[in-house]
Amino acid sequence: MSELILEVKDLVVDFRTDRGKITAVNGVNLEVYKGKTLGIVGESGSGKSVTALSVMGLIQKPTGNVSGGEILYRGENLLDKSVDDMRHIRGNKIAMIFQEPMTSLNPVFTVGNQIIEVLELHQSHLSKAEMADKAVDMLRLVGIPSPEQRFQEYPHQLSGGMRQRVMIAIALACEPDILIADEPTTALDVTIQAQILDLMNKLQKELGMGIIFITHDLGVVAETCDDVAVMYCGRIVERADVQTLFKDPKHPYTIGLMDSIPSFDSTQDEHKARLRTIEGMVPSLFELPSGCSFQDRCPRVIDECRGAKGVPVLSNYKADHKVSCFNPSH
Amino acid sequence: MNLWAYVLRRLLYVIPVILGVCFIIFILFNVFSPDPALLLLGKHATASQIVELRRELGLDRPWILQYLDIVKSAFTFDFGRSWSTKQEIFYMIKQGAVPSLTISLPSFVIASTVALSISLLVAYFRGKFIDKAGVFLCVALMSISSLAYILFFQWLLAYKWGMFPIAGFESGFPDFIEYIMLPLIIWLILSLGGDVRFYRTVILDEIYQDYVRTARAKGVGERVILFKHVLKNAMIPIITQIVIQIPFLILGALLLEAFFSIPGLGGMTLSAINSSDFPVIKAMTILSAIAYIVFSVITDVLYTVVDPRVRLS
Repeated sequence: MSELILEVKDLVVDFRTDRGKITAVNGVNLEVYKGKTLGIVGESGSGKSVTALSVMGLIQKPTGNVSGGEILYRGENLLDKSVDDMRHIRGNKIAMIFQEPMTSLNPVFTVGNQIIEVLELHQSHLSKAEMADKAVDMLRLVGIPSPEQRFQEYPHQLSGGMRQRVMIAIALACEPDILIADEPTTALDVTIQAQILDLMNKLQKELGMGIIFITHDLGVVAETCDDVAVMYCGRIVERADVQTLFKDPKHPYTIGLMDSIPSFDSTQDEHKARLRTIEGMVPSLFELPSGCSFQDRCPRVIDECRGAKGVPVLSNYKADHKVSCFNPSH
Repeated sequence: MNLWAYVLRRLLYVIPVILGVCFIIFILFNVFSPDPALLLLGKHATASQIVELRRELGLDRPWILQYLDIVKSAFTFDFGRSWSTKQEIFYMIKQGAVPSLTISLPSFVIASTVALSISLLVAYFRGKFIDKAGVFLCVALMSISSLAYILFFQWLLAYKWGMFPIAGFESGFPDFIEYIMLPLIIWLILSLGGDVRFYRTVILDEIYQDYVRTARAKGVGERVILFKHVLKNAMIPIITQIVIQIPFLILGALLLEAFFSIPGLGGMTLSAINSSDFPVIKAMTILSAIAYIVFSVITDVLYTVVDPRVRLS
């Protein structure tokens, strides 16, 4: 097993809203290893992005608040760090890229300027010329053609895929231990998606960082991740390595997600099976049912799920395969 | 395309706009207004007197020539003479511009700087007590009539405490300073509420953009985010707001000049309106139109400097 660099323990994140308090993340545990990719899968509102922002220390107070748990980066709890200490970690040791490449870069600064900014913050020992050289190198590293010219251009002169490459260049400029990628390919064309995923895989091999890959696309998970955590309504419902999860999913929600991937199976060509979907809607965080949050949509629901036994606990189904379900699939 | 070629082309576009503005002014003054000859001569004028005066004023000539007179004055600034004072209007404007600008320029610069600083401060503490108190104060300031401020401060600061003269004007440094203090304070209070609210909204619009989240993820501090990333993006609406006010500075502050007996352009325009001094009113109308056009060109040019997305085409 490679080195453990990040450990999230029993993380709880609340948000105050006009309609009252909601718990967006409720007791999440995660581990990120050097050189490995952890996928977090789930629908919108499942708490995957909030988990990522908590690791970055970017939950905006006073609306949001990390009210419980620990985030241990190389053994140190990030939740205890001062604002200034966290600034030295963000973008330096832990970097993040986002879903919206079109709007995530500052429109009034050049691409080069925006890469240099992160170097100025975290590698101030470099001279101006060295920073500019390094910025061009980063653009070359992420596969941007004629990097010297792109260096001087503004974000609006670049395509979405190119902008996401620039975001990756910014994120990796300080060679972080951990890269958090929050749906980095969702807004891109499919061909560009594949290029970006290839790029991330390649750079991970070269630089050896751990990646937290947030997505709702299981196809992308299969391609990029080593371990997977499936989230639903703020909790992790199933955790396993990627092979186990795809071969032998246990939680009815995971199975539902797998079934909703369109497959191209030649044996079924005659009587094409209709794409299956998960019935119903994600419950609102304001009115979660007692017991399992998934009970109303679950095909395997039994009496225990309705609240008498409380919320199902994430427990070992096998070694390295955890499920939180009273009636997991066999 | 380079910047100077762009500026030159924008200035060439100004010419047809000025011709159009002159046409509207011509329609307003020569077609829709009462006959100035009747106004000047009063009720008991004889027909021959009216014909005589109309010829003297050039009102009997073809309309096209009268229109060209206006166009000519727009380009040469030769507006003829005032009917009531018989002075050269251009000279009158030059005379009035000094006190007007002595009041309006420092007031405007100080008010804009203060408003922008306060709005950056409340934006930094958004959602906190300072922000809420600031917004409340802005609304309160805006809700009180400007006359109330003028009278109250004239009474308190000038009459009661004797800090400044109640009214009047003296040109030349440093004599003018004590005369402009009171109008300046009132100008500041009058503009602060609206300006701070506007700038604050513009800045907060930017603070919730995705690029700010990226900057935070890079480890940029909140202060640098506000002053570097947000402020540069907020510059377009801020520049518009500031530059578009400048033409009004040249025209002088009508109300303040009237209440503080300042012999500026605002007062001159008011008395011209009262005495139906058409050439002066016409001159001020042309001048304000030109100022407005010129400063909108300046705004456009500044956009291209601030925002790389604005193309020079």
